Amino acid sequence: MLAGEGMAVTDALALRELSKTFKAPAVDRLDLVVRQGELYALLGPNGAGKTTTLRMVAGLLKPDAGEISVFGIDALADPIAAKRLIAWAPDEPMLYDQLTPMEYLEFVAGLWGVEPRAARERAEALLRFLDLWDVRGQRCEGFSRGMKQKAALAGALIHEPRLLILDEPLTGLDAAMARQVKDLLQQRVRAGGTVILTTHILEVAERMADRIGIMQHGRLLAEGTMSELRALAGGAGGALEDVFLEITGAGSADAA
Amino acid sequence: MIGRPGSATWLLGHEIRLAWRGLLARRGRRGFAAWGPPAIFIAVLLAAGVPLGRLLENAGPLTGAPFVVLAAASLAAIFLLMLSQTLAAAADTLYERGDLDLLFSSPVGPRKALAVRFLGVALNLYLTFGAFLGPLAISIAIVAGPRWLGALVVLAALALAASAGGLVLAVGLFRLIGARRTRSGAQVASALIGAAMFLGTQGHIILSDGRDSLWRALWRAADEGRLTPPAILALPLRAILGEPVPLAILAAGAVAIYGLANLWLGARFAADAAAAKGAASPLQRQGREAARFVGGAFPAVVRKELRLLFRDSALLSQVLLRVLYLIPLTVLLARSAARGEAIAIPGAAAAVVFMAGQVAGSLSWITISAEDAPDLISCAPTRTRTILRGKLAAALLPLAVLLLAPLAAVTLLSPGAGLATTAAALAAALCSGLINIWHQKPSRRGEFRRRRGATWYALWAEATVCGAIAGAAALAALGSWWALAPAALAAGLMLVLRRSERQVAEALRAA
Repeated sequence: MLAGEGMAVTDALALRELSKTFKAPAVDRLDLVVRQGELYALLGPNGAGKTTTLRMVAGLLKPDAGEISVFGIDALADPIAAKRLIAWAPDEPMLYDQLTPMEYLEFVAGLWGVEPRAARERAEALLRFLDLWDVRGQRCEGFSRGMKQKAALAGALIHEPRLLILDEPLTGLDAAMARQVKDLLQQRVRAGGTVILTTHILEVAERMADRIGIMQHGRLLAEGTMSELRALAGGAGGALEDVFLEITGAGSADAA
Repeated sequence: MIGRPGSATWLLGHEIRLAWRGLLARRGRRGFAAWGPPAIFIAVLLAAGVPLGRLLENAGPLTGAPFVVLAAASLAAIFLLMLSQTLAAAADTLYERGDLDLLFSSPVGPRKALAVRFLGVALNLYLTFGAFLGPLAISIAIVAGPRWLGALVVLAALALAASAGGLVLAVGLFRLIGARRTRSGAQVASALIGAAMFLGTQGHIILSDGRDSLWRALWRAADEGRLTPPAILALPLRAILGEPVPLAILAAGAVAIYGLANLWLGARFAADAAAAKGAASPLQRQGREAARFVGGAFPAVVRKELRLLFRDSALLSQVLLRVLYLIPLTVLLARSAARGEAIAIPGAAAAVVFMAGQVAGSLSWITISAEDAPDLISCAPTRTRTILRGKLAAALLPLAVLLLAPLAAVTLLSPGAGLATTAAALAAALCSGLINIWHQKPSRRGEFRRRRGATWYALWAEATVCGAIAGAAALAALGSWWALAPAALAAGLMLVLRRSERQVAEALRAA
């Protein structure tokens, strides 16, 4: 495991001994490093602690213990500086039904203090890319789930975050929309951005991610590229699904 | 549950259970905190019924023309209030039906499902008004004889007729202005009914310079024989007095109206409810297309909150309703000014200040607590203080515009009083805003109507502080130094209510 070692300043995200307990431990002394410019997929069964981890990184939850470093900034000591670099896009879009996509982008750009002229240009580019330009003047209340998801994604990207964190970004998207979002994420990574995402669609992680981390019971069970994970799982099958089930123990339990 | 699964009684049982659980969830507290206040309220009403019952028992025959007019007018007022309530409820049935899709897709059939839901509307209406009038009627009946229980039957008849009326109006609105606007239309219409009633009764007081109420005028007119009510108007009074035939006529009439409305509307409503679902996406409401990006979080927050405020028709109609109540006051003020009397100024000052605090309370509650994307705000690189200031500013800006006219009127009449009123209105508005920041209760904006605002504690604090400041304004308008006493009380209360930023954050985390 690479986790915990070499917290270089160039790491996009470095977690050390991160812990959070609600009724039971949700995240348990987690060490995790995401390098700059990579697309990192965090996988795990329901209740593994993925969302709790990411919410702590986004500054929405206070950890009980541990350290969070975002591009070398101590996110617990200086949350505002860290938040400036991060965008958080949860599976439930953070939208206002009574605002139009354009008004929403205005608001988010204002919150992140984006310079107005740059914000306007980016808003237009994002809305055009995500096929929302024609509905930019319509209130989000009438949007389909996929359109809402895309509007929220545009909001996450309007301030050009260096670290983009997405929780189940493809939930509720049809095939065409999912392709758009995947293209956008890959484009971000090619441009040097860092993306962390959680997903239940294992093919997406398999095809898109540079590295994959598998979590269970609040800890990182395994991590690496697809081939590294295959080796770790003792050559279990070929697809990520087999590797995942092998590592989390669900495969053997099911087989038993 | 009662009845065969799928039968109307079984479905009604389901509705009642849901309504009951909703009521429990809304109260949110357990034990005495939940049931104490309503129990005390009912006990007070029961106690108040005793002297009233004595009075009625010894009053002799109550069948004269003045009583007939008074009973008919009171029932008309209750009917209008009920109508204004059902109208909104019926529109909700059309819109926020939630489980109607499930019911419609089941073999129960839309007609039966709707009939039961309509009955639920009527029952809800009856229980709401019955909570006030029921205990009174019961203790009057105990003191003055069981015939007074007829009042409860009359109330039920009114509730049935009012629900039928509300449903017919809602479907009419639907046909007239379409699916999407029906809900806002119903809210505005129900607010207007309330306002019309208020203005109708207050109008008379104003025209008589505050010396005569509409009720008293009606009474006198009937007493002096200027107003002879037709025989049919005596029906309600005789029913209230427990005469069996009028009671039966009223009840049968109401059931017939209700049944007819149900029969006639059932099919139509089912079609409309289906149409409402379909209309949700294609009919898009436009906002601005052109971007007007501004730098900085504060202006962005103010702008976003103002947009959301002005797009919330339920909220707007509520606020406008409160402002409507200022009209009689302004007229009264203008009339006394025209005659060169300044007698109404202290009262006006107090009313304007109290209203300012109350409207500021509603608006700041909605901008501060009703945040639909709290996570977005939390993960933004902006200080909480900046966000809250923006939200407060957005709540106070529209209020400032609303207050311009009454404040100008008071200032014209008496500059000193105008200054005091302006300062006090500002203080009341700010205090209400601060209380809403200190005692936030986050929830989604859509729940505003159901939850009716903040915690009871915050509401109580707001009313008390605003009342104290209003009192100070009235005394200051009189030029009395005693104004300092209520002002000091308000300041003291604010010190007690104050919470630090850290305490607020902790309370929010614990919630």
